[in-house]
Amino acid sequence: MTRWSLEQVEAIAPTPAALSAARPLTTVTKWVGLGADDRAVWGSCRGSGAEPYDTMVDHVGVAASCTCPSRRRPCKHALALLLLWSNGDVSDVPSPPAVAAWLDARPPPARASDTGRASDITPRSATTANDTSPPGGEVSAGVDLHGQQGVGVSDTPGGASDTSGDHVGDVADRDRARDERVERMHAGLTELDRWLDDRMRTGLADPALARYATWDELAARLVDAQAGSLANRIRRLAGLVGATPDWHGDVLAELGLLHLLAQAGRRLGSLPGPLADAVATTVGWQVRQADVLGGVPDTDTWVVAARSDTREDRIEVRRHWLRGAGSHRWALLLSFAAYRQSLDNSLTVGTAIDADLHRYPGPALRALIGERHGEPVDPARPPSVDVVSACAEVGMLLAGEPWLDRVPFTATASIAVDGQRFALTDAGGSLPLIAGGRPLATLLAVAGGGSVDVTCEWTPHGVVPLAVHLDDRSIDVGPRADESFVSAA
Amino acid sequence: MTAPPDLDHPEDAVSDPDAVSDLGAAWDRLVAVAMLGTDRRNPPEPGGVIADVVDDTVRSTPSERMLAQVAATVAVRRAGVLPRAARAPLAGPETDDRPVCVPAAAERWHHVISSWPVLEDEWLLTLLANGWRMPPDLVPELLTRHRSDPVRRVRAELACGPLAGWLVGHLPELAARGAASSQPDPSADEVAELPSLPIPPDLEPLLFADSVAVARQLAAGIDSGSLAHAHRAVLVNLVARVRPDALGEVAAALEAIDGGSIGFPLASVLADLARTRQRMLDELGPRRPTPTLL
Repeated sequence: MTRWSLEQVEAIAPTPAALSAARPLTTVTKWVGLGADDRAVWGSCRGSGAEPYDTMVDHVGVAASCTCPSRRRPCKHALALLLLWSNGDVSDVPSPPAVAAWLDARPPPARASDTGRASDITPRSATTANDTSPPGGEVSAGVDLHGQQGVGVSDTPGGASDTSGDHVGDVADRDRARDERVERMHAGLTELDRWLDDRMRTGLADPALARYATWDELAARLVDAQAGSLANRIRRLAGLVGATPDWHGDVLAELGLLHLLAQAGRRLGSLPGPLADAVATTVGWQVRQADVLGGVPDTDTWVVAARSDTREDRIEVRRHWLRGAGSHRWALLLSFAAYRQSLDNSLTVGTAIDADLHRYPGPALRALIGERHGEPVDPARPPSVDVVSACAEVGMLLAGEPWLDRVPFTATASIAVDGQRFALTDAGGSLPLIAGGRPLATLLAVAGGGSVDVTCEWTPHGVVPLAVHLDDRSIDVGPRADESFVSAA
Repeated sequence: MTAPPDLDHPEDAVSDPDAVSDLGAAWDRLVAVAMLGTDRRNPPEPGGVIADVVDDTVRSTPSERMLAQVAATVAVRRAGVLPRAARAPLAGPETDDRPVCVPAAAERWHHVISSWPVLEDEWLLTLLANGWRMPPDLVPELLTRHRSDPVRRVRAELACGPLAGWLVGHLPELAARGAASSQPDPSADEVAELPSLPIPPDLEPLLFADSVAVARQLAAGIDSGSLAHAHRAVLVNLVARVRPDALGEVAAALEAIDGGSIGFPLASVLADLARTRQRMLDELGPRRPTPTLL
């Protein structure tokens, strides 16, 4: 058995920070049940939770599994385990049944040269297509270090299954795992709907709603049911309770959307394909980046129309809104950063790039950027419409997916005062703005008394201006991440 | 003017209340029932398009009917986004005939305020002296930066032109504060004068020396270690006030200091300051006359 070198372990770390986080765990006293054989290394690490995290790494097939809530694969426990092993601190012993079962469920290992161990390994993709906040630990199944579900679960509902294994047994295992997952999700959605029903019965004035535990327990059960995106919605919803004097309407609307998703999620088979995909990903069905990137590319000249950063829980989320110069279709690129991690800075508002975008399943706005066919062109501005047409565009997208929280549009409009608010206006109508501080001041200063092209996000609470497009440049006025939180790198 | 958004009825915030009044009223009824719960009050009877969507005999209990109505109403209201009535656009500020400074100068201003704030006074005074004005998108930031200092506030308002007053009229949070709002306006001389910076007497002659002498003396002092990091603040002041025609020589001499020299880090920093100031003054140079066709 050839142990890995330190360099090989470093090479599979998703970030240098992950490796740094692993190093404090490379003490044998923090582990129990350490062992290794010619295929795997395993152990249980005492973490912050009541139960130790069971970690195992297939060092031949290059895959890891850990029961910790981290979304990052390999997690720090897997990296620490490999570091211990590479350092000779793990003795060779027969593998326990749990490890053997996990290895049996995996495809047979390819030769090291085929796996490209530590050379072509990329971190696991972030989240589902519609959900932008971290699932918060809903994935404890094994995930290989290439970002694939180690247990062979197909990631699209009824979509193409994972064909990485040729063995009939593997296929059967994958099917079984998928069926089990569907069953768990179905049960979770049923429970969610029952919970919603209880809320309707007891009313929004029920003091239980003011307790975070009420929401946390439901969110935890949804995580167990692998409906992580809905769990995130529940956590965000908890923050709305009591947030404004008239929070009841906001909460009720979100409960209604959750009911819609719970109902639709249990009827995926009877929904039209694209809608089923959209519902599945919104509920929390994981989609592999590799599958998305393997799809048919949407090639166009993509104008980077706007950017906005929002903090969701402990993660900073950056949205880049792109608009096809030819297709006029919108696309959303997401990037995420935990504390001291960096967001995607490769796209600049007001530039355009010829590139392949690969969309997530369904009528998704969310996409991944594939091959870039040239350097960004500057300046570029997205096509713009009047206010009425902008509303029609937004309405069309919301009719397809009413649960969307943000929908982009670019309108040519002037600034007006509407009661206590500013608004975008033209001869056809007006849209109230929710903005303050520097973004609003910049918009006002640039527009003066004239009209400007402005890219905004529709939200249920109003319209947020993100970018103003001038002839020679665009001005990015979108909300920006706190620089003390994210890394500038 | 900048009151927090009305979140009472989120969808109404972006929809014309008249156009969706039926849905709006139905929603209000649903919220009222949801507050109490269907154990105490039956859900309202659905009407219009919502009735068609939820007309489902399978939903037998009041809470189930309520949930179905809420979901359908939210979906329909969201998809039915309509603009509110058109409003009269704001009247713009008075025209400012001065040209906006070149983009490179605007970018330099960002570098100045983030890295070399010691140069900002000179940047603004040069802009004003040469007949440029501030780009509109930088006006809020400039006004925000200079709310309290009376002299700098006046400079900022002059650089922004009529747009400054117009913007403050709409966004009172950009108005002057503290001394800038309570003290009488500073004199024109005060506004036009570049503030003096502390420079030790032994370095003062360098302010007036010829460019070669300044560059040579500064570089030699740093290279030998007689001017070290402890002198950084006064050396920054010196480079910020040295004769503009000496900046090129100074920067070149500092850039020529060997990487192995003890003074290399300090020299690099001061070279950047000298180059920044030199480029800043070039970018904000006098406007060239518009070419005329013969």
